[in-house]
Order: sequence, then structure tokens, then C-alpha cells
Amino acid sequence: MLRSLSAGIAALTLAATPALGQAIGQGFELERSGRHAEAAGVYVTTLRTDPANLPALLGLERVLPILNRLPELLPLVQRARERVPENGTLRALELRVYAGMNELDSLEAAARRWAGAAPRSDAPYREWALALADRRMVDEARRVLLLGRRTLGGGAATLAIELAELEQRVQNWEGAAREWGHAVAAAPDLLPNASSQLSETPLPQRSKVVAALTSPGAAPRTQRLAAEVLLGWGQATEAWRLLEQSIAVGPPSTETATALRRFADLAGGVATPAGHRVRGMALSRWADLVPSPLAERARAEAVRELLDGGDRVAARAALERLTADSLAPPEAKSMAEAALVGVLIADGQLDAAERRLAAESGVLGGDDRSTLRMQLARARVTRGELDRAAIVLSGDSSVAALAELGWIALYRGDLRGASDAFRAAGPYAGERAAATERTAMLALVQQIADDSLPELGAALLMLARGDSAGAVTALRRVASHLEPRGGRSDVLLLAGQVAARLPPPQDGTAIALFDEIVRAGGPGAAPPAAELEWARVLIRQGRAADAVQRLEHLILSYPGSAFVPEARRELERARGTIPRS
Amino acid sequence: MKRREFVKSVSRLAGLTVSTRLLGFYPLNRLTGYLLVPMDDTQSDHLKAYGLTYRVIGAGLKAEWLLNYHGGAFLLPDADSIRRDAALNGVRAEPVDGGRITAIRGEIEANNMDAVPLEKAPKVAVYAPPNAAPWDDAVTMALQYAGIPFTKIWDPEVLSGGLRDFDWLHLHHEDFTGQYSKFFLIYSGMPWLADMVQRNADTARRLGFATVPDLKKAVARGIHDYVANGGFLFAMCTATETIDLALAAHSVDIAATFADGTPMDPQADAKLDWSQTFAFTGARVEPNPLVATFSDIDGHQVNAGPRRQPLGAFKLFNFSAKIDPVPTMLVQDHRQSIPDFYGLTTSFLRTRLKPGVTVLADEEGAPWVKYVHGDLGKGTWTFFGGHDPEDPQHQIGDPPTDLSLHPHSPGYRLILNNVLFPAAKKRELKT
Repeated sequence: MLRSLSAGIAALTLAATPALGQAIGQGFELERSGRHAEAAGVYVTTLRTDPANLPALLGLERVLPILNRLPELLPLVQRARERVPENGTLRALELRVYAGMNELDSLEAAARRWAGAAPRSDAPYREWALALADRRMVDEARRVLLLGRRTLGGGAATLAIELAELEQRVQNWEGAAREWGHAVAAAPDLLPNASSQLSETPLPQRSKVVAALTSPGAAPRTQRLAAEVLLGWGQATEAWRLLEQSIAVGPPSTETATALRRFADLAGGVATPAGHRVRGMALSRWADLVPSPLAERARAEAVRELLDGGDRVAARAALERLTADSLAPPEAKSMAEAALVGVLIADGQLDAAERRLAAESGVLGGDDRSTLRMQLARARVTRGELDRAAIVLSGDSSVAALAELGWIALYRGDLRGASDAFRAAGPYAGERAAATERTAMLALVQQIADDSLPELGAALLMLARGDSAGAVTALRRVASHLEPRGGRSDVLLLAGQVAARLPPPQDGTAIALFDEIVRAGGPGAAPPAAELEWARVLIRQGRAADAVQRLEHLILSYPGSAFVPEARRELERARGTIPRS
Repeated sequence: MKRREFVKSVSRLAGLTVSTRLLGFYPLNRLTGYLLVPMDDTQSDHLKAYGLTYRVIGAGLKAEWLLNYHGGAFLLPDADSIRRDAALNGVRAEPVDGGRITAIRGEIEANNMDAVPLEKAPKVAVYAPPNAAPWDDAVTMALQYAGIPFTKIWDPEVLSGGLRDFDWLHLHHEDFTGQYSKFFLIYSGMPWLADMVQRNADTARRLGFATVPDLKKAVARGIHDYVANGGFLFAMCTATETIDLALAAHSVDIAATFADGTPMDPQADAKLDWSQTFAFTGARVEPNPLVATFSDIDGHQVNAGPRRQPLGAFKLFNFSAKIDPVPTMLVQDHRQSIPDFYGLTTSFLRTRLKPGVTVLADEEGAPWVKYVHGDLGKGTWTFFGGHDPEDPQHQIGDPPTDLSLHPHSPGYRLILNNVLFPAAKKRELKT
């Protein structure tokens, strides 16, 4: 890239006259259309009138190797270099021509001449090494770069980027890390590039890379590089530990704040609890270094991240600071209040959460309040406190609240009330999965003739409270009292689906239930749905041949069923004819 | 699922699933009429329809390919087992009575259509190395999805005369110039490439060749002789271009130093012998070992930087079904215009085609064609540029294409036309 950039700059500075420009433009067109010999002719003609025309020389560098005429370029380049000896691009071109002609002694001599003419420049060593590296002479290229480092002085950072890229090219990731470490220690602006390069380290070599960057005596900036690289690999906790170490050295500075902010931003891309947690930590620390109101907003954001990361202790600490902060802007206070109530619900302190929700005056927004009420109601349901759950939602006429009230009615065994509430909520309230679950439950309830069936409500509540095994038994008991065409198969299907999601020992129960539904047959959706679930259990057990039998039976027995396309796809998977996705 | 795992799993299961299905057609408990398998937009799974037809003829039954009728429909005998196969695979198959058959034949007679009997299920070989390379082979996936059995063969089998056991041979991404698709420098250090190099070098040594390019030239010659003796060759992607380069370069070194230890002959272009090739003539070999392209045969030059051309769409030619049934079979499709897709070799420059090559599809106004066919000795060959019709920008390491999401793929149909084409009764072929 450096090469093309320098060529581009030179092309601008050496812009020729319009007529000359037109002529060379023809050369580019000819080159683009593959007429290389004619393009070369145009470039050579251009050089006759303007011997140092860099675009023409670079054009020849592109086309002459294709025509096996590279040696013709050498005298042209030398003539140009004599005219403009200080032009680094021409010098570099000369080196590449020697390299392309495999004249390595001449290459070295030319490079040394250039180094002698520009004793403070690293360009001769860089271009010399690049020319060698392009010929896969990696050891020689490394030797040249180290020679440059020694000759120029300036320590380990000199030519460190070139050495890092060279090591990377030969898959020596540990060596590349060491060089990037030197480079970053001298110039913190290189951190993003270094981190991006090292993020591509193959898995087996990653530990060596980290060790190279965190060796005793490593500069704080180098440690920061290690932290960023680890974060990119998803090792958020280890990354944070290293970052903390690096910022503990010396007093806080602008660079410390920048490092923390950058780390927090990068952690935003790590969608794991640990990623959220370290982002929260970094934001908290960053908030200590920036002025208000930036600090309060960062703290509020940190709380949310810490909660998402499951670190309630740290979240509470941050919340306490925020709520005690009189300077905090309203949106930060609102976010803190919502987060605090959320923490209380998650911690099971439902009464405290309820009190806080009832007492707060205007801090919470409407959406936050509604969401928290729903969370609280669900937490009450999970405890079996149906009446208190209904009280929380009383007065809320939103479709989401109606849907939740439908579930509460269902858990009480009030099938009619549940149906009415689900219908009133409509098919779109809440998340798509919740809407689908509600619609499926409505379809089940409609099969049952009774308006009230407390046993079914109790079984479903058991399921909602996490007692899946107990729910399976209870649902089977409920089904045994239902008519074959009165919802029996649908309740058994639900029991089977729950059993199938339990650990493997319940697979037998699930299969027995699906078998019962399939044997009973009937016009509803339950038999093909049961057969599809049955096949999935068999596939999970590694019994592909048995699953194929079930799926074939389903497809041939219920050709009009909506489950057939899904069954056909499972069949392909069971046969191994399409990739698993 | 990782692509390698998928390739391994399908290789294991292919024979089992297909042979079980074939057995399902015996005995025929009912054979009263015909089943029409339409191949126009009413078909629910175009690709599996080919598999169904293949299994019917594989079970010893006769089928007909109704060229240009409803998108190239198939007429199969009616039997419970065939209906079952169609239902399980989601293939639309309509029972037709004698009256309808008469009407269909009348329509075929009066239009640019023909009915070609399909009698013998061709034995299919796919040329592929024993290990799984990090790219997919569209033909292997199409065969697998359609349920058509195939056998994998490689260099030792070709050189020991193993091709004579097969009616149809498919080549895909193989680089017959022996330069590992010129990925050697770009993907240096990648385990899959190291494995590929090692495997090829070992095979060359074991079979007595000094270099891998020498081995590949011999394999290309073996494939050439297989076609000349009556075999059907279908090639895609790099295999199209490189097999001709390898054949033309029988006496000249066109491989870079990294492949055989010696640089390419600077006068290679002048020394190429195009009388030995299938499709191409007069091409110039790419001299730069760092550019992953082989010659100027390919019109798109996907890996050649500024020479790379954008993708368009290619259009299938319309042939006379009664006079030219062979090209007509090869272009049966429910779409005339198909979006193009890249491969290491994507297309073929018109100026590089030998006289006598039949162009089956091209991009209007472009200097390249996409799909070509020709005869060699007693056999025929078909070349189709590009890598994967449903993955236009296919990159190394991409997941395999799930064909159940593309059951109507017009590009994949062209591949499967080629598989069934050798099943056509020989005397019916007029070209």
C-alpha cells in the first residue's frame, strides 16, 4: 500500500503537459484492454520526451514483465534517477527492477547507494526488504530491516511495522506481535492497525502472541494492545484485567481516558455477558475521568451494561453513585431508576420493587414503567401469586397487558376468560415468539368444550414456574379426562413437546406421547405435528433411519399438512443431502 | 455446519440413500399409465425431478424427455412406488391418461419440441481429490440433492484406466496445470493448501512423475482419451480452462517455479499445441505466478485486479429440438436468462473458441460465452463457466449452498441436464 501511495503522490507531482497526459492516457487504456505491447510502446514514447515521467515508468513496470521484457526498463529507470536523484519513488522502482531481474547483488548495491544518499531515511531499507520479500526471500528481507534498524538508530521502534508485516507474512505471529508491540509503544496511533492485524492470529498461536505482548517490562501501550487483541477474540475478562494493569501505571491522563473509551467501544461488539460486564467496567472508569454531564450518562450506560453482564453488585454500586449525584441529568436518573427496579425484580425483592414503582414520581418514562410492570407481573406469576400479578396489571389497557392477563386467566383455569383476553390482545402483541405461543395456546383452548378447567391451568402454571417434568405428568393427567376430539391430542402434544425439551431421559416419555397421538390420528394438526417432533427426537438420538421412516410416513399420510415442507427439510437433513443450518 | 463435515457426511450417505430408493421401484405393483413431470413454473422441485427420472431409468424402466414441452418435462411410467418417490421428494408428477398422451404427442409433433427416450442411467464419476478442499463442487451438491449416485475418482484411477467403468465424468475446480489454482502464494501457510500440495506431490511420486504438473498433464491426456473413446465429459470452473491448457502444453513448461521448480518457458505461448484440446485455441498463458488466473481464455478474470469484469446475465440459445436434440437437451430450462456467477474461470472468450464448438449460452453484447459443447472422437464434452450458480461471489471457505433453498435453480438445472443427457437413446441423437 505504501508503494502505491507513494506512486500516486509522485504521479500527481510529476503531472505532465496536457498533450503528454493524453498520450499516456492511451497507454492506460491499451493496458486495461490487455494490449500490453502497444501500451509499452506508448509509455516508452512518453519517456523519450519526458525521461522522468513516473506514470510511464510505473506503467512499464506493470506491462514489461508480462511481455518478458523487464530488462528494458532498467536503463530507463536509471536515466530518470540520474535526473531526479532525490526522488524516492524512482529509487524504489530501480530496486524492484533489479529484484524482478533476479540481480540481487545489483539490488543491494543500489539500495546501499540510496542509503548513503539519504542517511536518515528508512525508505532504502524498507524498499530493499520489500523487493526481497516479494521474491519470498524472507530471511534476507529480515536481515535488511534489522540492518536498517541498527544503522538508523532510534531503537526497537525503527522499521518495526515492516518487520511485523514480514513476520506476519510467514505466519510468525509471535514475532509479528513483538514488533507491533515495539511500534505501538512508540506511536499509540498505530494501536488500531496493530490490533486489527493481530486479530487474525490463528487459534494455536494466540497464547504466544499474548505472551509476547505481556512479557515482563512490556510498555503500558503494548499491554493495551494485548487487551484489545484479547477482546477481539472474545476473551473479555482477561482483556479487562490487562487494560486495568496498563492504566494503573502513572497518573490518569488523556491517553488513559482515550484507552478506556476505545476499550468500551470495542467491548460493545462482544455480545457475551462478560463483554457487557467489561464494557460496564470501562465506562465506569471512563466516567471518573470526564466532566459532567458526560460522566453521568456514561455511568447510566455502565449500569445497563453491568446488569446485562450479570454483575449486579457492580451495577448497584454504580447506581448508588448515580442516584446520589445531584448533577445527574434527568435521562440518566430515569435510566438509573429503571435499572434499579429491574435489579430488585431480578433479585426477587418484588415488594420493594412494587413500592418503588408506586412511589416514584415522574422520573420513569411511560415505556419503562410499562415494561417494569410486566416484568413484575411475570415475576409474581413465577411465584404463583396470580392475584398480585393481576393487581400489578390492573389499569393497564395495553395489548401486552391484556395478553399477560390472558395467561393469568389461563393459569387460574378460566379458559373462556383466557380466550377472550388473547383475542382482545390480538395476534401481534409483544414479541413474535410470544405472539406465536399465545396463538397456539388459543388454538388448544378452543378444542376444549369446558369454559373452566382448573387442572389444565395448574399444569400450565407449573410449566410457567419451571417445573417442566411435573407439568408433563399433569398435562398427561388432564389429557386422560378429555375427549379424543376435545383437545386431548393437542394437550398430549404439548406434554410431548415439553418432555422432548427435557434432558435425554425424558425422550422415552416424549416418544410415547407422540406415538399415542399418531396412532389416534384424526383430522387436526396434532398428528403430523407429533410425528415431526418424534422424528426430531430420533434425529437427536442419532437414529436417522427411524426418523426417515417417521418423516416419510408424515409426508405420505398428511400431504396437505402445513408441516410437510418442514418435514421434507428434516428428511433431507436426516439423509444428509443438505448441510445442517 | 462446516463445509468439510458436510462433504464428508454426504460422501458417506450418498450410496446408501440412493440405493435404498432404487430398490423401492421393485416390484412394480401397478403400471397402468403415465406420470407427467412438468418442468415449467408449476414444478415444485425442479432439481429433484431429475433424480426421480434418473431412478426410474436406473430401475430398468423407460422414460421420455419431452424437449421444450412445459420446460422440458419428463414422462414416466405410473407406479405406486414412483408416485411415492415423487411425493417424498416434493416433485410434482401428474397422472396422465391415454387421451392426454395422444394430445401431448400431437402438440410435440406440431411444434419445436421432441420426445427423447431415456433408457440407461449413466454411471457417474466425479473427479475429486480424496480430501475435502475448502470449496464446494456444484455438481456434487446437485447430484447429492437430486439423489443421483456417483463415485469419486482421482488421478490413480484415471491413470489406471478406471474411467472405462463410467459413462459420465465430471470435473470441477481442478487445476490441470498443476499449480494448485495458483493459490500457492496467496494462501501460503493454510493447512488445506499444505495438505493439497503434499497429497499431489505424494501421488506424483507414487505414480512415477517428476512433478505435479507432469502428473496432471498425463491425467488430462487420460481424460481426453476417455472422451475420444465415447465418454461424456462435463466440466465447470477452472477445470474447463486448465484441462485444455494442460493438453496444449504437453511439450512445454507452463507451470511457475513454485509448482515444478523451474520457471515457465518464456516462449510458452508459441509452443502450445492446440490441436490436442477440447474447446480452445490460440490462448496466451498468464505469466505472473502471483496472479491467480491461467490464461486469456476466461473473459472475467476474477482474480486479475483491473482486468476483472463485472457479472451480467447469460442467455440460453434456442435450438431446433427435432434437428439438434443434443444441444436442445442441454439447454432445457424454465428460464432463458440466468444471472451470471463467478468462478476462477467464469466464462470463455469467443475469440478463443475452436471452430465447430457449439455455444449453448452467452451474454449478449459481451465478448465471452458461458456454456459450450462439442464432440471429440466418439464422445462429447460440455464446459460451463463459473463455480456455483447460486453463489455468484463464492469465496474460499464459504459454507456450502443449501440446495433445498434453491429447488428451482435454473443454473443447477443446466448441470443436471448434462447428467441425464447420456441416458438418451443413442440412435435418437442427430448431431
